[in-house]
Amino acid sequence: MKVEFTPQQNALREELRAYFGELMTPELMDECSRDMGEGGGPLWRTALKKMGADGWIGLGWPEELGGKGMSPIEQFIFVEEIMRAGYPFPFLTTESVGPQLAENGNEWHKTELVPKILAGELLISIGYSEPGAGTDLAALKTSAVRDGDEWVINGQKMWTSLAHFCDYTWLAVRTDPDAPKKHKGISMFLVPNDDPGWSCTPVNTLGDVRTNATFYDNIRVSDRNLVGELNGGWKLITSQLNRERLSLVNVGPTAVLFNKVVQWASETTLADGSRLVDEAWVQGNLARVRVGIEALKLVCYKQAWAMSEGTLDMADASVAKVYGSEFFIEAYRLLGEVVGQASMVKAHSEAGEVLQGRIERLYRTASIITFGGGTNEIQRDIISAAGLWIPRASR
Amino acid sequence: MDFGFSEQQGEVQTLARQILSEQVTPERLAAYDEFKAERFDRELWQQLAQAGLLGVALEESHGGMGFGFTELALFIEEVGRSIAPVPVIPHLVSAAAPIQRFGSSELQGRWLPGVASGDVLLTAALMEPGNEEPAAPSLTTATLDGDGYRVSGLKTCVPFARSADRILLSAAVDGGVVVLLVDPKSAGISLEDVRYSTYETQYQLTLQDVQVSAADVLAGPTAGAAVMQWLSLRTTAALCAHQLGVTDHSMRMTASYSAERKQFGVLIGTFQAVGHRAANCYIDVECLRLNTYQAASLLASEADATNEVQIAKVWAGDVGHRVSYASQHLHGGTGIDRDYPLWRYCLWARHNEMMLGGSARQLAALGARIAAGEAYCA
Repeated sequence: MKVEFTPQQNALREELRAYFGELMTPELMDECSRDMGEGGGPLWRTALKKMGADGWIGLGWPEELGGKGMSPIEQFIFVEEIMRAGYPFPFLTTESVGPQLAENGNEWHKTELVPKILAGELLISIGYSEPGAGTDLAALKTSAVRDGDEWVINGQKMWTSLAHFCDYTWLAVRTDPDAPKKHKGISMFLVPNDDPGWSCTPVNTLGDVRTNATFYDNIRVSDRNLVGELNGGWKLITSQLNRERLSLVNVGPTAVLFNKVVQWASETTLADGSRLVDEAWVQGNLARVRVGIEALKLVCYKQAWAMSEGTLDMADASVAKVYGSEFFIEAYRLLGEVVGQASMVKAHSEAGEVLQGRIERLYRTASIITFGGGTNEIQRDIISAAGLWIPRASR
Repeated sequence: MDFGFSEQQGEVQTLARQILSEQVTPERLAAYDEFKAERFDRELWQQLAQAGLLGVALEESHGGMGFGFTELALFIEEVGRSIAPVPVIPHLVSAAAPIQRFGSSELQGRWLPGVASGDVLLTAALMEPGNEEPAAPSLTTATLDGDGYRVSGLKTCVPFARSADRILLSAAVDGGVVVLLVDPKSAGISLEDVRYSTYETQYQLTLQDVQVSAADVLAGPTAGAAVMQWLSLRTTAALCAHQLGVTDHSMRMTASYSAERKQFGVLIGTFQAVGHRAANCYIDVECLRLNTYQAASLLASEADATNEVQIAKVWAGDVGHRVSYASQHLHGGTGIDRDYPLWRYCLWARHNEMMLGGSARQLAALGARIAAGEAYCA
């Protein structure tokens, strides 16, 4: 046991911090801020391709899959640093779907799509939820039906985030309507978002983040679009979600926000000339957030370590997701109290804005991941069953 | 970044768990309830000594295993898991560790072999009434007397003070703080039994012009505060490790109970309200575990771990409180029944929460470091 980074890992972090410091030009920052932290703009794309060309995407993937062969710990450092820099990294593509394609995909996926992902030239959105299938995902109805040599796909997905600028959708469909257990009749397809039968309407959210409803109308694809085994999709979904959960709760952005609020409170004076940061209640809030960040950091690092050892534990992945998502909400509230009224002033206001309105916006977006990526009730069910061997109710 | 145990760490944990789970039974623990006897199982103490565990972090030249603070913390976690009636924290962490780190070779040779063999007992007086800062004694003062000191003052919360061979304590002196090893049988010392919730008596120690010879001085005025800081951080981390064992066991007892107890014809664990409260305990215990291991690991390599120890202690306080009450609650009446082993865990969770400062005090100290620019996220 040594809960410290190696000198090489610390050096990598320094290198990345300097790299992203240069990459994130004010123009790119502005564009990302306009796109509500989602990316997709022209400068964002150029930057992603540059990262690909410089070999940073897939840093922790095995060399035989086209990566740099570093461990998931280095990969996690990479994601942490890029998120700290404020670049909306398409981690669903690079960290969760990409590795799945590299490990379980066919020749086309491996030789054509994966290299494009690693080059920053291909983006994938995720199509799981439907109007009638959310937490009970296995109830999904979007279908792929065999017709000659092809598959015909019909249905609707909800919350297909980023789909409006992605190239493919990683789509969960029903291929066996008669399977005795409903999760055994599901397969994964890669569906091209430029197909004439593909359409998308925006869903605008509380936090200004755009997501989508996507529609699949008689889309015809061939066998090469099937990922993994026919009716073997459930395993890919759960393994993808385990990877996604870690990226969702990355500690980087909150650590940066904490540092900025501390700095701001140290430079802000009250009417009597004393510093805001010297107020007892301010120190109390800041200390609470600092304590929470430390635990989140360790929970994430342990996960990255477990992935590098091949011992990723189901309960631990859910611990990270529940703890991280609920801590973020608490952290934004506590930091917002420190900033005071200014924590409700929106970005680009004529006056009164603090830290580019980040807290105002984060407070509105924070609720997404307590239910997104697998709702926390289900995560707690998993923790109670897989971590404590408590029997669960049948559903 | 390595969260796994080395071979030797795994062995220490297994050995400690084996001895403690066999020897510490509810029957044997009951012998100390209501202060029937000093809460010290000397037979178990000898077994731990023979197994080498009392010397786990002492150098081989002193009869120890030669391992470090991480292994010691893992041993203490097991003591917490079994709530064994043995004074490992005051003896090994607060007293023996600083003697090994800062003491003269004469001082080390005099005390450490006996520490490992269990033949001597050391303890420490870290707090004063209204002053929980070990490195800044305010009620205890010393004056030079030849090449030794004369000490007067008041210490509180001193475990095993009556049976210890030496009590490590700090005193304010002209030019700083001195750290002394005081013989409780010295003239001028009086001890009062303070009956604590856990049935482990914590003594109040009054010193009146007590003579301490030069041979019993661990650190002089310029080094004393740093020595106290050093041992205070390690004692705090040890309390976190003990708390980790206490809460982990308490949680697992609760999980087993909810997987056996039926109401409305079904196991109560199948109710989400029950399963989710247990899941919250699991998240809490994991946070305490990781913060404790991080603190231990940093202290083992002598890194500056002030922030990390304070943070771990906040978790120890909060998690102790939450897991203790969740365990009680989910057990229903069974949890408070003294014929069932949970109730003692509740007392120890509280003990570890409060010793050397509860969460509010730790948060205030961390908050002050944040304001001073000493606790930014890396």
